[in-house]
Amino acid sequence: MNTYIKALIGVTGREINRMTSRPLYFLSVVILPLLSLLFFVSLMKEGVPVKLPVAVVDYDHTALSAKFRRTIDATPGSSVVMTPATEHEALSELRKGNIYGYVVLPHNLQADIMNGTQPVVRFYYQNGLLIAGGLIQNDLTITLHTLSAGVNKQKREAMGQNEVSVYAEIQPVKPDAHLLFNPETNYPVYVTSIMLPIMLQVFILMITVYSIGIEIKERTSREWLRKAGKSVFVALTGKLLPYTVIFVILSLFSNFLLFKALMVPVNTGVVYLVLLSLLYVLAYQAIAVFFVGLLPMMRHSLNLAAFYGILALTLCGFSFPIEHMPEVFRLWAEAFPVRHYMHIFQSQILAGFNFVYAAPSYLKFMLFLLLPFVIIFRLKSALIYQNFIEQIKITDAAEAAVSEKSLIQ
Amino acid sequence: MKKIISKTFKRFKSAVSNTALIFQRELLILVSDLGVTILLLIVPVVYPFLYSLIYYPEVVRDLPVAVVDLSRTADSRAFIRKLNATPDLDIRYECISMEEAAGKFRKRENRGIILIPETYSSDLALGRQAVVSLYADMEFFLYYKAMVMGAGLVSLEEGNDIQVKRLLNAGLSERQAEVFSNPFVISGNAIANPAGGFASYGIPAALMLIIQQTLVLAIGIMAGTARERHKLGTLIPCDLRRMGTFRMVLGKSAAYFLIYALMCFYMLGAIPAWFGYPDQAGFSQLIALMVPYLLSAIFFGLSLSVFFKNRETPMLLYLFLSFPLLFLSGIIWPLSNMSPVWQVVRSIFPSSHAMLGYIKMNSLGAGISETGHEIAMLWILTAFYFVTACLVYKTQITKVKKLVLNAGHQDNSLVTAL
Repeated sequence: MNTYIKALIGVTGREINRMTSRPLYFLSVVILPLLSLLFFVSLMKEGVPVKLPVAVVDYDHTALSAKFRRTIDATPGSSVVMTPATEHEALSELRKGNIYGYVVLPHNLQADIMNGTQPVVRFYYQNGLLIAGGLIQNDLTITLHTLSAGVNKQKREAMGQNEVSVYAEIQPVKPDAHLLFNPETNYPVYVTSIMLPIMLQVFILMITVYSIGIEIKERTSREWLRKAGKSVFVALTGKLLPYTVIFVILSLFSNFLLFKALMVPVNTGVVYLVLLSLLYVLAYQAIAVFFVGLLPMMRHSLNLAAFYGILALTLCGFSFPIEHMPEVFRLWAEAFPVRHYMHIFQSQILAGFNFVYAAPSYLKFMLFLLLPFVIIFRLKSALIYQNFIEQIKITDAAEAAVSEKSLIQ
Repeated sequence: MKKIISKTFKRFKSAVSNTALIFQRELLILVSDLGVTILLLIVPVVYPFLYSLIYYPEVVRDLPVAVVDLSRTADSRAFIRKLNATPDLDIRYECISMEEAAGKFRKRENRGIILIPETYSSDLALGRQAVVSLYADMEFFLYYKAMVMGAGLVSLEEGNDIQVKRLLNAGLSERQAEVFSNPFVISGNAIANPAGGFASYGIPAALMLIIQQTLVLAIGIMAGTARERHKLGTLIPCDLRRMGTFRMVLGKSAAYFLIYALMCFYMLGAIPAWFGYPDQAGFSQLIALMVPYLLSAIFFGLSLSVFFKNRETPMLLYLFLSFPLLFLSGIIWPLSNMSPVWQVVRSIFPSSHAMLGYIKMNSLGAGISETGHEIAMLWILTAFYFVTACLVYKTQITKVKKLVLNAGHQDNSLVTAL
């Protein structure tokens, strides 16, 4: 037992030596992950986008149309940045990207409302951009309904109804939207809570594949195994241990950013946070080891890891719900730890549900940890026989070699 | 005089033939390298296809929700029927209590809860405002949207019906009641993507990003591999006959440009046609956008290759940028709400301008002049990265020359070619 621990410490020491020997490690293990975490936190810190630029095309030019314009400008969601003379101009401004939507107030708006001919107020929103389009659509719909209710209310008050009943009359059923179990958080915060682990998994996958693959490529794998007492388990554990520690710290730091900078409520103990971070890092390390074992030639395993890491954004279901994807992709999505991380995070940490509801996801995490055992012997033989090494031909030395040969002769 | 002309002509001729040679060589290496071939030819073909299949359903319909009807009256049942009739929602469960509904939510059997209060019917009868609570799931944005929009619109409609009914009871005519409750008609119109389909919104932008990312990665991998293969670990071979900054940069760029010009026909022509994505942009508009985009992305890649010392380095140091670039493009996060710092960071990447420009042209039907800002920015970046790429190669050439001369290879055939 003691010899194993000694070997483990030896391998870890060797790895730390390697890590400090090249700036590449420092960049891709510390600097770039930190920058990406800070990027997303800083981008989303503002919360839901507010005061999106819109235009009002006013063909009416009356007191009422001016009031409409001011009301739209005063809503939290939009701000009237221009009043183009024609719809054509407004459309062009929208195409240029200067506004995300516009409202058209028709000729005789005021007069038509007064004599009850129900004029049509049209609004247009840019739906090529999902978030901006959705927000503008929502904001303008609500604002125009409020304005409509305002006119309605004025008429009623003129008829002598009191204020309480006016609201009950013009909006008898009022929808009151809450977020389940998380009334105070907003959408950008949720985006961040998913993007941070997604960024981390890219770095974990890449650096794990690299740190093992480079041993094969540079033919140092035998020396590495020897240092580990010829045990591939000790070799892998010792090598990956420093990365596990760093990435768990980074993952905890990302949680810290969420809770402290973005004020996400946390409904669970620190123990679970550490456990979740640890499982997350280990699961991705296990997957990366599996990739190297599957394709010991690093160029190919890196490509595979890149393909897998990039797909995580799509298949974790953050952009489009998994349940609505075709069956094949629903199964495929199970193969992404970030998917299970997301579930545990939302069920246990954000909503504060009992551990029982997240337990299946923890179990799936455990399954990822078994992956390396599938290819462990293939990996060991690749490390020993070094039979997956690409031949690096020095392409520009051919002529030099020929001339040297001729000189010798 | 004649001598000068013939000399210039000769130099020009050798420059062109050297550039052509570098171009040819680059293409040959590209094709013979499996990793790079996958990146350049397979990834841009497979990703759009894969994404299109994943996002095939496009929109969220029939979100499973639970209703807690505490009122249990004819009024509340009418409201539930209307909720069920919207395409967005599917009333999967009718629960007796909030606890029961929340329990099902924990097991993810429903993705939202609608609570109708005990006082619903009496509120309506007594002329008080009835409040219906919607509890939405934030796990997926589209679920939240379906829930709030679906139930919100039903509440408005139901409210309107009740209001009209009351006004009719108060003795108004049908027309009067209608005008009273709706003084003006509100009509919302989507410009681009009226169905709000997720694929039509996301995939065109993703296509543009894939172009830049695969280009930069491929150029970086080629550069890293070149350093490993070259005797002196430099970016360029120590074969001094074919040297020349412009020849090097232009020859290599031509090879990538050729491949990507061909790929664009597939990515921007075939994919939108097959999957029915927006394709409002005409051929001349696409040319106006894509030429500076490809050029700036290629020169950007060539400039970055100075950082890639090994074949693996681009994957470790550059790949991760794909996610931040997606968010910086202005497609997801509105530009008007991006801090000035990120606006500046955003503007140095060709993909940001190309993604937004492509969406404008393709989904909104913007013309070249309306996309003028993006096209101008892409040309500025082309010029800027051309200069940096030339500087990178110039310093490499000087380095090689110095190294070769200092290494005492004076007798070598390589140097005699100088």
